[in-house]
Amino acid sequence: MELTPVLRSEWLKIRTLRSLPGTLLALFAATTAFSAIAGASNTSDPGFDPLFMALSGVVPGQIAAVSFGAMAVSSEFRPGALRLSLAAVPQRGSWFAAKSAVIAVPTLLVGWVTALAALLVARAGLGPAADGLTTGEQVRGVVGCGVYLMLMALFAAGLAALLRSGTATLSLLIPFILVVSFVIGDATGTVADFLPDKAGQLVIRGTYAGSSLGPWSGLAVTALWTAAALLAGAWSLRRRDA
Amino acid sequence: MTSIEVQDLTKEFGTARAVDDLTFRVLPGRVTGFLGPNGAGKSTTMRLVLGLDRPTAGCATIGGRAYRALREPLRHVGALLDAQAAHGSRTARDHLRVLAVSNRIPDHRVDEVLEETGLASVARRRVRTYSLGMRQRLGIAAALLGDPEVVMLDEPSNGLDPEGIVWIRQLLRRLAGEGRTVLVSSHLMNETASFADHLVVLGRGRLLADTPMREFIHARVRPRVRIRTTDPVALKSALAEHGHEAVEHVDGHWSVDHARVDDIGRVTSAAGVPVLELAAEEGTLEQAYFDLTSAEAEFTAQPQEA
Repeated sequence: MELTPVLRSEWLKIRTLRSLPGTLLALFAATTAFSAIAGASNTSDPGFDPLFMALSGVVPGQIAAVSFGAMAVSSEFRPGALRLSLAAVPQRGSWFAAKSAVIAVPTLLVGWVTALAALLVARAGLGPAADGLTTGEQVRGVVGCGVYLMLMALFAAGLAALLRSGTATLSLLIPFILVVSFVIGDATGTVADFLPDKAGQLVIRGTYAGSSLGPWSGLAVTALWTAAALLAGAWSLRRRDA
Repeated sequence: MTSIEVQDLTKEFGTARAVDDLTFRVLPGRVTGFLGPNGAGKSTTMRLVLGLDRPTAGCATIGGRAYRALREPLRHVGALLDAQAAHGSRTARDHLRVLAVSNRIPDHRVDEVLEETGLASVARRRVRTYSLGMRQRLGIAAALLGDPEVVMLDEPSNGLDPEGIVWIRQLLRRLAGEGRTVLVSSHLMNETASFADHLVVLGRGRLLADTPMREFIHARVRPRVRIRTTDPVALKSALAEHGHEAVEHVDGHWSVDHARVDDIGRVTSAAGVPVLELAAEEGTLEQAYFDLTSAEAEFTAQPQEA
């Protein structure tokens, strides 16, 4: 079976469920809003990191990206839905690959636009405090931020396919993103550096001394988590009865 | 033409055997009724044919090929498994477009099947607002989308109104008349009797019967003659002379088992018995089915001797 019709069909599925494009809109809105608030905050902290401050809206905003990935997959696990989809496309591997692609591409594009908007909005608030940012750092932050959001959406998609439930996936991931990472927080140089969200977020940090990872290697660690989740999801999908 | 072939098919869920060494073929050009009580394995068999469940043993093929090996399968096989499968937030038209695009089925087919199933006027409404009968029609529209040679419907008349039931009956007859292979599961006997040519009957996952419907009924329901008269005494004696036994029923009519109208008519006429009504009582599918399943229950209830 050719992949193009499957990709078109999966993309149509996303477009025709109002809640899914809505989630991507929420990603943009929440991230830029939180970045704007961060940009207007106090900058006298000695550990002040203007790049992270400007893009920090991603930390709460990524919940929308995660929801997008989880919901796009979990809509297939409503009663009878997966059977209908797999009767149309019996090659489960290709089907899941197409599903992942139509989650990845829109999240990446919206992620880039979002990161750029967040940076501009926050810089307007930070004023001269952000003058020390180099062009290279800012490009790395924006590009990496989009990739990070895409990886998190796919991570959630893989988990949702494995758990066969969007609710289960979100009730696992959201507390994880909000609580666990927050509590471990600044405990850099430990195993916490290798958590999927912590590792990937290095790419939006200006300073990452003390961490065992750099911005791109951090993102690569997140990519490994994502690949593992997607493979687990694909394996479950292929092995189990629909 | 394309048939459905099921060969030594077995499916276990844990320790329970849903389908037990089934072998049968569904041939084109006729409607095959797929009967059996709830839990007999009808839906499981359909899922196995579609490659959705993995068989424990055996195989199911369509025209000799596994479902998964079909290129653009909706163009070969159309199935309705669950009318609730459509996402409530999508419109009926979008639901069908998603399926059509995946198998490169042209867009005009979407409008054609919406028209055919009587949903054209509500095609842009969200499926959430649909009644069960409308969802059932949408599921049938999805099955017909690819103009398939094989049509497999699981309980298609569920939730349909009387008009819908007549419509589905005519649709099934037409599909078979066009030479397609049509397999329709049901647990409604009278409904199945109205459209099926052939029957495949399951019980506890095993094949109980695979015969033409007429034969199935005639082999299991003894022929009977119904008769009404103003002179029961004369009737009884005339019949007794020829070795027939008439049994009276509460509403005043009589019946004669193992008899044909031709014989009974001659007997009563020769004896001058006044006859108000004389008719052959056709066996129903329901009677035949219960005869089969009760025999089966007896058979399975026997203690196993080692």
